[in-house]
Amino acid sequence: MNSILYVDLTERSSKVIERPDLFSKYLGGPGVASKLIIEETKPGTDPFSPESPIIFAAGYLVGIFPCMVKTVAMFKSPLTKNLGESYSGGHLASALRFAGYDVLVVHGASENPVMIKIVDDDVKVERADSLWGLSPLDVEKTLREHYEGIQSVISCGRAGERLIYYGNVIVDRFHHFGRLGLGAIFGSKKLKAISINGTGEIPLEDPLAVKEMYKKLYDEVVNSENMLKYHNLGTSANVLELNERGALPSRNFKESRFRGAERISGEAMAESSLERKISCPGCPVACIHLAELKTGFAPEHEKGRKEIFSEKVLVPYNYEPMYALGSNLLINEPSHLLRLIYRCECLGLDAMMVGTVLAWVTEAFEEGIINLDDTLGIEPRWSDVGAYLQIIDNMVDLKNPFYTKLAQGLDVASEKYGGEEFAMIVGRNGLAGYATGYGTIAGQLVGARHSHLSNSGYSIDQMALNQPIGPEQIAKFLINQEDWLYVLYSLGTCYFARKIYTKEVVCEVLKIMGIDQTPEGLMQLGKEIFHNLYKFKIQEGFELTDQKIPGRVYSMQTPHKKLDAEKMQSIIKFYIHKRESEGLQLRPEEKALKELLSFEG
Amino acid sequence: MRFRIEVVRPERCIGCYSCVYACSRHLFNTVDPSRTAVFLRTEGSLANPFMPVTCRFCKTPECAEACPKDALQPLPEGGIMLITSRCEGCETFDCITACAIRALALDKKTKFPVICDKCGDCAKYCPHNVFKYEEMK
Ligand code: SF4
Ligand code: SF4
Ligand code: SF4
Repeated sequence: MNSILYVDLTERSSKVIERPDLFSKYLGGPGVASKLIIEETKPGTDPFSPESPIIFAAGYLVGIFPCMVKTVAMFKSPLTKNLGESYSGGHLASALRFAGYDVLVVHGASENPVMIKIVDDDVKVERADSLWGLSPLDVEKTLREHYEGIQSVISCGRAGERLIYYGNVIVDRFHHFGRLGLGAIFGSKKLKAISINGTGEIPLEDPLAVKEMYKKLYDEVVNSENMLKYHNLGTSANVLELNERGALPSRNFKESRFRGAERISGEAMAESSLERKISCPGCPVACIHLAELKTGFAPEHEKGRKEIFSEKVLVPYNYEPMYALGSNLLINEPSHLLRLIYRCECLGLDAMMVGTVLAWVTEAFEEGIINLDDTLGIEPRWSDVGAYLQIIDNMVDLKNPFYTKLAQGLDVASEKYGGEEFAMIVGRNGLAGYATGYGTIAGQLVGARHSHLSNSGYSIDQMALNQPIGPEQIAKFLINQEDWLYVLYSLGTCYFARKIYTKEVVCEVLKIMGIDQTPEGLMQLGKEIFHNLYKFKIQEGFELTDQKIPGRVYSMQTPHKKLDAEKMQSIIKFYIHKRESEGLQLRPEEKALKELLSFEG
Repeated sequence: MRFRIEVVRPERCIGCYSCVYACSRHLFNTVDPSRTAVFLRTEGSLANPFMPVTCRFCKTPECAEACPKDALQPLPEGGIMLITSRCEGCETFDCITACAIRALALDKKTKFPVICDKCGDCAKYCPHNVFKYEEMK
């Protein structure tokens, strides 16, 4: 172990380098990747240039303990222009480790479509012209062939091939490297797919201790209410929960309750469409909910009997696309929601960002800042699934200058057409579906990857309903969460298992692996990982003090009433102050601390 | 006491590999998805159902019949036992290809076929009761 596999697409070559120095200190996942992304990227590299690397790093404990399943992908994001950081479950981390590697680094670019095929130590770059243009779903069908060991197939779709800034990479059919545009990086390298088949072992130093600990953790996982909920309805339970609290974004965050919520709720989906639940290797939970979408044969083929004869496909769903392509667009028909998700899957598009874009387009059309000439005759209207599907297609086809701007994100589109006020992005990434209060917005703004999962800001909003929580406490919470999550992610821990893997448990588990750590030491490590990533962001031009929050955030309804801009500012200022006192320089020299920290003292 | 393990509810399988990992921990003190006596397969895409596979404890085992060295001894209650002294030096592994459901794997390290020892760990670690583990009468 401790091995990094380097594949060069230009040279079609590969090599393995052992880096015990990195792994002994940073374990794996984002810990190791945070060092590599800096080592491997020349400052200012164009995300689409051959020099722009992709780093896949499996968590340190993948395969060894339950719910250790994650791989991080790090790259330069075309969407945010700085850190691209995305996590996926599925078979990838296990396949990589069973093949004998902890990290895969991809460099270079090819002239013609290629794929990387790895079977243990056999590493090949092969032509993939015939796969180019295929949906990731078809690529998976085509490349999944191995009978032995664990195989992972990941690929971009047409969105990535055409460099849509939020094109994603689909992992093992139902998982994703979403959000920050990894698919477009694949596209720019003419890299269609990666197949990894691992048939080797992850050696255990102390098998008896591992077995004992495994048993304990396994029992906790399968008996824990905390994890069971992810199996039962999964995160889709949030639709009704948030709706009830008045925190479910609807009509592009203009409203925080949705009248159709019951129809597209997790409960309703389970009733009408849920077909299967599946898991990541090494996790007994099975939170991946798969719905059946009946697509219907061609009418001319079935002569009006489509209620009887239909084709069906499996579509993964969870809360985020249900908000983004459901409540936020006023979609209230489960099959419409599933069709939108499925189109994103087939094209390899980030469903959340697509929802953010479609909501903006609809409102921009209502406001008259875009017109039928821009949309090529399509009238975007709330809940109009047909129009939305056409808009998605036109965007991936880069049909005209308007669609081309949409494909580059809402900062680009709203800069040209206006409507920044309701372009629901922070740090150029679409907001997640939590109109819960300050924590969620501030958390996504300061998070290294601008995700709600960066620091779980929405959860402090929930706590703040029962007791007053001031700006300083919110800032502290965000810092502690994000630092700690970097430790868990470096181990490969699934976010959903974070309550099982407490600091004490992690110390115990690491001890079995021969690593002595204390809770404080781990927090320090998490902090260092965060600092490394932020240094990369800053090196690539990110400035926290320049980030904008769309005006709509201050007019939307939340369980904390309307949010106050001053309080938000004060959270950010406390945050900057605290991070700077840790030694992370967040502002350019010339910006005075005073000016930013008028609340200090 | 003789035990046996059987896949009884394959349609419940969530594809978690808990059984596979448990088996390789039990038999080999390691984690290795190919050193195991329980297998998880899909027909092509992961969109297809999972098919967990274990030894079927055949009464007249094809694997045993195929072995040119009589290294696999059929057991009265079904299934087989490996006589390692006879297996050594085999290069054809006819037993593995003979099993129609492919419940045998070649252990690349020891060059023996991996044989289920009926410990029941796969059943113990299966969160959805896909297996039945019972004493044989
Ligand atoms: S809880 Fe879900 S995502 Fe997390 S490891 Fe288990 S199956 Fe994978
Ligand atoms: S009973 Fe034991 S040896 Fe046999 S397949 Fe299950 S875990 Fe493996
Ligand atoms: S433990 Fe059970 S559910 Fe998990 S893969 Fe094995 S048979 Fe399937």
